[in-house]
Amino acid sequence: MKRSELVSRILITVAVIGAVGAPLFFWSQSSLMHARVAESGGWNPNIIRADVGAPLHLRLTSDDVVHGFAVGQMNMDGVDVLPGKVTDLTLTFDKPGTYTFYCTRWCGLNHWRMRGTIEVGGSNTDAEPAPAPLYVSLGLDIDAPHEAPAIPSQMPSAFRGESLIRGLAISQFINSDFYRVHSPYETFENLDQYPLGESQRWDVVAYIWQSNTTLESLANGKKLYAQNCAACHGENGAGNGVFADDLLPSPNSGGGGDEVRSMIQTPANFTDPKRILGASPALLQGKILRGGMGTGMPMWGSIFTEGQIWDLIAFIYSFQFEYQN
Amino acid sequence: MIRFISLVVLFAAGLAVAFAPLPAPSIAPQARTLRIDARQFAYSPSELKVNLGDTVTVQLVSTDVVHGLYVDGYDVSVEADPGQTATLTFVADRSGSFRFRCNVTCGAMHPFMIGKITVEKNDLLFRSVGLATLAVIGVFPLSSLLVERKDRALAK
Repeated sequence: MKRSELVSRILITVAVIGAVGAPLFFWSQSSLMHARVAESGGWNPNIIRADVGAPLHLRLTSDDVVHGFAVGQMNMDGVDVLPGKVTDLTLTFDKPGTYTFYCTRWCGLNHWRMRGTIEVGGSNTDAEPAPAPLYVSLGLDIDAPHEAPAIPSQMPSAFRGESLIRGLAISQFINSDFYRVHSPYETFENLDQYPLGESQRWDVVAYIWQSNTTLESLANGKKLYAQNCAACHGENGAGNGVFADDLLPSPNSGGGGDEVRSMIQTPANFTDPKRILGASPALLQGKILRGGMGTGMPMWGSIFTEGQIWDLIAFIYSFQFEYQN
Repeated sequence: MIRFISLVVLFAAGLAVAFAPLPAPSIAPQARTLRIDARQFAYSPSELKVNLGDTVTVQLVSTDVVHGLYVDGYDVSVEADPGQTATLTFVADRSGSFRFRCNVTCGAMHPFMIGKITVEKNDLLFRSVGLATLAVIGVFPLSSLLVERKDRALAK
């Protein structure tokens, strides 16, 4: 074999291996993130590392159905992650810490289990600890029953309430310090010092609740509710969303008999006055932050900002009160 | 001869009933709201029937993953997440049968997630009733004609 022949043979071999190997190498090096429904593994990878201030480039694709991607606590709108397409996304983190990213399009009963973390490290690791949520500092037991002992005979109306409060000094009720720690029923009890009938007092409660929120908050809460809550709690709040029945094990699947079924909590019915009028905003905040232990209720503390949770709570009360539009 | 003429008249009437264009829609257009449940990989109901000119509002309720609905021929579509009922309103101004299909990739069998919407005036029913009536009327002259011919043949 001539020397030149040997060289050309080596060159051809290298070129062939390179043509196949180089794309494979770059494919394995690229940060393409695959999304699958939670039952098939969720996000891959589900732990990402990033540095403070340095842009993090993500390339996302889906292996099965439509998913979405967003990072919690950042108030960002999700981007769609579609099968067969690649979504490019660049994120920059200002603060070090552990962020939760999650799926934003309902992709099944276990959609909310599709989560992962981004660990953001940086030089200034002196991150201040998050303040304790209100229910912790108040010492509330958010799993205790909180039924209102009495409920209004008709839906309380903020409009009627507004006409009743003229001449009454109720300004102490219209501030967030009072509103957040009192349930509507406790407020109703507090109002017995005024010369009002029972249904009138409920109307004033409705007015107080309306005065402690804004139209923008209610609209934002409504949007968040539709995107994140309605699939289980129902679009009209009655706890009968499309997944409500699926949360129970089916009787013939071996998932347990009637005994097990009766122990599993179904999604809360927000149209039930006993349940909602007996709950203070701080209590609802605790339930949303932590989620339902042992139920299908996800933990939202790592996803919603505090403002988003208050907006959501204001919207949940609107199932009980008639507000002016 | 009279029998022959009556036969021709009957035949012409039959053709008219079957094929004459109707002057106006026999049914006044109305607004219809139809709820369709979408799941992997089927619609329920998967066959819809509306009249020509109806304003159709489809409420698409998804019960598992994100689904869509695209109506062939009308080129209108809608997309629904579970928990977020989506509505699609269109005027059914083209008659015929149209396929509707999921236009959001919803899993392995996604291409087979289809349904059918039939848009028509319900004149087929009235035309068939008319033809049946003519047939009943026609039985009498036709049979008597045949009987007469048979009689003539026997007389020869």
